[in-house]
Formats: sequence, structure tokens, C-alpha cells
Amino acid sequence: MSEKNETVIALLGQPNSGKSTLFNALTGLKQHVGNWPGKTVEKREGYFEHGGQKYKVVDLPGSYSLSASSDEEIITRDYIAGGLADVVCILADSSQLERSLYMLADYVGINVPCFLLLNMCDVAEEQGQKIAIAALEEKLAIPAVLFSAPEAKNYGAFYGALARAVSEKKRLDASALDKKYSEIAAYGKIKALLPADLMPGFSPVWLAAKAVEGDGPVCAKIRAALAAAGEEETRQAFEAAMASVSGTTAEHRGVLLTGARKFAWIDDLLRDTVTKPAQEHALSKSDRLFTHRIWGKPAVIITVLLGLIASFIPALPFMALGMGLGALNAPVRELLTGAGCPLLLTSLISDVFIRSLGFIVQMLGFVFGVTLVFGLLEEIGIMARISYVFDNTMSKLGLQGKSVMPFLVSFGCTMGGAAGTRVIDNWGQKVLTIALAWAVPCGATWAVVPMLATVWFGAGAPLVIAAILAIMILHMWLTSKIFGRLLVKPADRQGMIMELPPYHKPKWAALFRYVLGRTKDTFFRVLRVVLLVAFLFWLLSFSASGRIEDSLLYIVGTAIEPFTKLFGLSWQTFMAFVASSIGKEGAIGVLSTIFSGSGAVNFGTVMGETANAANLNELLLASVGKPEALAFILAVTFNMPCIVALAATYQETHSAKWTAIIAAYYTVGALILACIAYHIGLLLW
Amino acid sequence: MKKLADLTPNASGVISAINGDNRFVNRVTAIGLTPGSRVTVIKNDQNRPLLVYSRDTMIALNRTECKGIEVEEESSGGAR
Repeated sequence: MSEKNETVIALLGQPNSGKSTLFNALTGLKQHVGNWPGKTVEKREGYFEHGGQKYKVVDLPGSYSLSASSDEEIITRDYIAGGLADVVCILADSSQLERSLYMLADYVGINVPCFLLLNMCDVAEEQGQKIAIAALEEKLAIPAVLFSAPEAKNYGAFYGALARAVSEKKRLDASALDKKYSEIAAYGKIKALLPADLMPGFSPVWLAAKAVEGDGPVCAKIRAALAAAGEEETRQAFEAAMASVSGTTAEHRGVLLTGARKFAWIDDLLRDTVTKPAQEHALSKSDRLFTHRIWGKPAVIITVLLGLIASFIPALPFMALGMGLGALNAPVRELLTGAGCPLLLTSLISDVFIRSLGFIVQMLGFVFGVTLVFGLLEEIGIMARISYVFDNTMSKLGLQGKSVMPFLVSFGCTMGGAAGTRVIDNWGQKVLTIALAWAVPCGATWAVVPMLATVWFGAGAPLVIAAILAIMILHMWLTSKIFGRLLVKPADRQGMIMELPPYHKPKWAALFRYVLGRTKDTFFRVLRVVLLVAFLFWLLSFSASGRIEDSLLYIVGTAIEPFTKLFGLSWQTFMAFVASSIGKEGAIGVLSTIFSGSGAVNFGTVMGETANAANLNELLLASVGKPEALAFILAVTFNMPCIVALAATYQETHSAKWTAIIAAYYTVGALILACIAYHIGLLLW
Repeated sequence: MKKLADLTPNASGVISAINGDNRFVNRVTAIGLTPGSRVTVIKNDQNRPLLVYSRDTMIALNRTECKGIEVEEESSGGAR
């Protein structure tokens, strides 16, 4: 029990066991997302009350077992053994018990009270399975409950099992599996020589089995304890036992020996408790389409695109709201000026606060839509099919098949793409996906760049667009090479080993609550970053006199012009380039203001809210040559997408360091591209 | 003895050996593939993961990864 008199429940289950759905259904909006201390693994905690008792729910990271082969698994083990949870809720998929009880089998021998939740019992029922839950409970000696999230009546059974687990504090019966493990000679020998109280929370059964498996942390502990005790004979006996299970064949490899026993234990458990008709394993109609050698990819892409189009419907109110907020700007400005408010403050409120807020709310619609659609695709089971179809392509970039989704979304909005990386369960691959998604030109880029290209290159504009797409692919490939090794460990680069779960009906209520929570979370986190960056830029561009020559931006811009000329950019285009890191639309606004001499570049210009000069095209053609124009267009396209994307990147990665690295990389990269384009342009024209 | 990836669609076999580093073997075990367990190949297309069925579960396996899985092929028509 934690200090706040809460009962702490930890949720443990393999991916696709419905763990996240249960977590969202239990805790609703009372969630907190952070990082596990010292690790890059996301930590999700939530709260709920039932029958006057407060509960804290900890969603343990998704993993397939309790071995020590990933950060997620080590965190899970350490958390359970650390005694912070009052009870562990172990989830299994009722429709695939033979396989999904593996987590329970791997838990046998851990001394923390637990109960078993057989999720998705509705699917099992449809398959004609009958599960004798009372008999199962008796065999395991812990509470067990049949469950399917969408039915309200099930929660009664869940709370009942939870209450029993908490009050009775029952441990899983380890005797049956212990007997099976004892068939392995080394297991008995190791168990006999284990020092007492080696790792609190873990019984000798669990520790000896893990030692047989060659588990790094457990073996290290045993060796250290034996060395400290100074009993040379015991130490040699341990090493001899270990040697007998460190071979490569099925008879001499510890992991395979215990694995076979665990599944034998599961088979025993299910023998008299579950009856089921022979299972059909032919592919369903939709799976025949999704896994098709030729039609699979188009089918996936069309599914995602249709989903995204549908997601615009919930996004529309956000956009209207955001624009409404933007429209408030002028009246508020007048009101403040009328009330005698100093210019500095008026400008700060209207240019920084209201505009940023409107900007974020507009984009938030994408986050809401993308989170909803991706969450839905994942719950139904389509996400796993997407992974399958794109596994081969994406693994070339060091990514999972799912990474294709954020890339597609980024053609619309990079912030949505970043939010979509939530479905990628490995942190390094998540960051790498975001880093690559930044290279995908977003909707705003497509609104700005073709127009600019037409001004200078007329009929040649499509060539510029084609070049941009080619550079995008090259950029993504190069970026994956540069960051890949740092972000994705070779061990995490292993290809797909995952189940394609049966299709499930979506749990709408839980899904919506989750999406709302996530959107709210994104809003507040993003707001902080955006306000900070907007404020800094506002300071740079503020001019008390209203004349551009009095702003810091001008002073700095003209001072470093000799330097920016290396990239082909004059101080004017460089300033527009800087503005494009805030928002792409800003680039045109800034150029228009500077070249038409129509007043100060303020934050409003940068947000693209100033009407452009009517003769902008002629002004641009007269002032900027073709090589500089090409350099400028490429620099704007491959610059950081916008401040909101930057903030969303921080929100998803939880890493200020990596957010800064990616931002700096893109700024420098854009300038290098500009430099190359400029010099090629000089040769051409 | 055959490699799992050499089975044709609809062929079944019993796993006889799993080779690879501990991490790989752990992962494969946790998803239900152990020596002695029976697998049926569902799909085996070039440039796609291998699709197999085992313990009530459809499993996708990356081609390079599953080189270490060997099977004893069952004669056709050996469905249970």
C-alpha cells in the first residue's frame, strides 16, 4: 500500500492482451504519463475509486515474458519484486489461452499476490470455447475472472476478484510447475544451492528456473552471493549445473528446457478446464486481402487514408475553434490599446498568447483524429496487419512496419504524425520515426512551396516538386543512417516476431476517454513549449518604433548576412527561413512585409496572418534570383516543420535532448541543402 | 530436417530445433514456439514475414530471424 492509503494494482500482460483498454477503462481521464526512472520507457499510472477505496493502477510496460532481454522486461520484474504493488493483475487472451497464459507461467514463483484476468471472453465464447473458471481458480489457488471490457456487468466480477486478491493476498501455487522443472537435472541442483533471500519477492522456484534460462541479472546475483560466502565447492557445483544447460541443442539449452515445461504446465491447466471445438486457421477474407503479396500494401494505405479522412470530421470543430480564437485577436488588441495598455504588453498578449493558442487548437484537431483512428486500428487488430505488410520495407530503415503510419500522417500534419508514433512500443524506434517524419513535407509546406516554385520557375515548378520528393526519400534514408545506430540498438533491430490477433470489436467508451485524455495532455504540454518559443521569437522581432530596422532580428540578420550568403540566402530570405521554423506559412508573410516595406515583421506576420502584398510575385522576382530562390525553397521545405511539431516531438519522446538534437539537425540540414542547391543553381542560371 | 521458412503454405511440421541468441530464443518461446510444438505455414511470400499458425495463434515471423527454426515436416494431410 502506498503512503496515500491507496491500493496499488499493477497490470501485467503480453501485447494484445487488452491491457491498455482495461487501463483506460478503469482510470479514464485520471492518468499520468511519464518515464520510468533512468529509462526511456513510458510509464503510465492512473487512479480510480471503488467502494470507498482508492486504487492506483500501474500499467507495466508491454513485454512477452519476464526474461531480462529488454528494458521493458527488466522494469516490469524490478517493479513487481520491489514490493510497490499490493496485487498484480495478470491478463491473458481467453481466445488464445494456450499461448497467452505464458506470462502467468513465467510469473509462477514470484511471491507477490496476484489474480488472473481472462480477457476477451466474448471472442472465446463466439469460438465455442467453454472455460470452467472455478476449476481453474482451484488449480491456481488465486482468484480468476472471465472478462470482456465492453460489458458493464463484467466490472462487478473484476472488482470482486480484485477485492478478494487484495484481502486474501493469495500467491500462485508453484508446486505443479516446480515438479515439472525438477525433470531438468540442473534445476534441482541450482535450487538446492541458492543462498537464502537472494532477491526479495522471488522464490527459489522462480530464481532457479531463471538461472537455468541463463538470465543475466539472476546469474550475476547468484555468482556474487556465492563468491561472497566463499564456498568454493558450491560455486563449482553451480557452474557445473550451468554448463549442462548452456548448450545449443534442445536438450541442453536452458531456455528451451524451461519453455517446454511452462507450456506443458499450461496444457495441464487447460486440460479439464477448457473445452473448445477444433479451431479453424484459414485466413479470413480481410486477412487474405491485407496479407496479399500485391494488394496488401495498397489495401493498407487506402484503409489508413480513409481512416484519416474520417478523422477530419472530429477535427473540424477544433479548427473552427482555433480560427475563432485567432479572430479574437484584433478586437482584443483594440480593447487593450483603448484601455491604455502599453504596446509591449498588448503585443505580448495578442501576438504571443492568443495567436499561439489559436494555432495549437487548430492543430489539436489532427492529434485528436489521429489518436482516435490509430487507437481504433490497433484495437480492431488492423495495426498488426500493417506491421506485417510493411515489416520488410521499414526494417531497412531500422524501424517497425507500423512506422509507415506516422509517415503517411505527416503529409497532412507533422504534429499528427508525432502523436501517431504512440503505437510504436520501442522508444528508440519511436524517436527515429519522428526524426524521419520531419522530412515529410506537411500540408502547410504543400500550401506554400508550389506557389513559391511557380513564381520563379513557372512551368518548371513540377520539376521542383519532384526534386523535393526525391530529396525527401534521400533525407529519410540518410537520417536513418545517422541516428539509427544511436537510437536503435542492434538487439532491437530484430525483425517482426509477433502475433496477428483475431479481430476485435472496438470498445468505444474506453477509446474515447483515452483519446480525450491524450488530447488534453498534448494540449498542455505543447502549450508550454510553444509559448516559450513564440515568446523568444517575439522578443527578436519586436520593434517599439514599428520599423523593421529597430528589431533585433534585423540587426542580427544583417550582421550575419556574409555568413548566410554562403547558403545563398540574403538577410531577407534568411529571416523568412527562420520564420518558417515557427510555421511554414510565415515564410511568405515575412517576405511580403520586407519587400513591400509595408511595416514591421511582427509575430502576426510570422504566423502568416498578414495579407500579402498584391504585387508580391513581381516584388519577389525583382529582388531574388533563381539560385537564391531554389536555395530558399529547399531550406523552407526541409527546415523544422513548425513549433507545434517541435512541442509534440518533445511530448512523445519525453526527451528534451533528442528534441533539441532533431531540431538542430534539421536547421543545419536545411541550410546545407540550400547551399548545395544555390551552387548548382549558379551553374545552371 | 528442414528450415521452417522452406515449408510451403499449408504444410505442417513439428519444431525440432531453435537456434539463435538468448534474446531471440526467449522471444520465440514466449510467443509459443518451442521444440516439439506443431506449426502450420499459412503464407510464405518473398519479401514478407512468414505467417504460421501454432497454439491457436497466427504468428508473423521475420524471414531472417526464423532461419534458426528447424522443423520435422509432417506428411501432407496430417492435420489434427
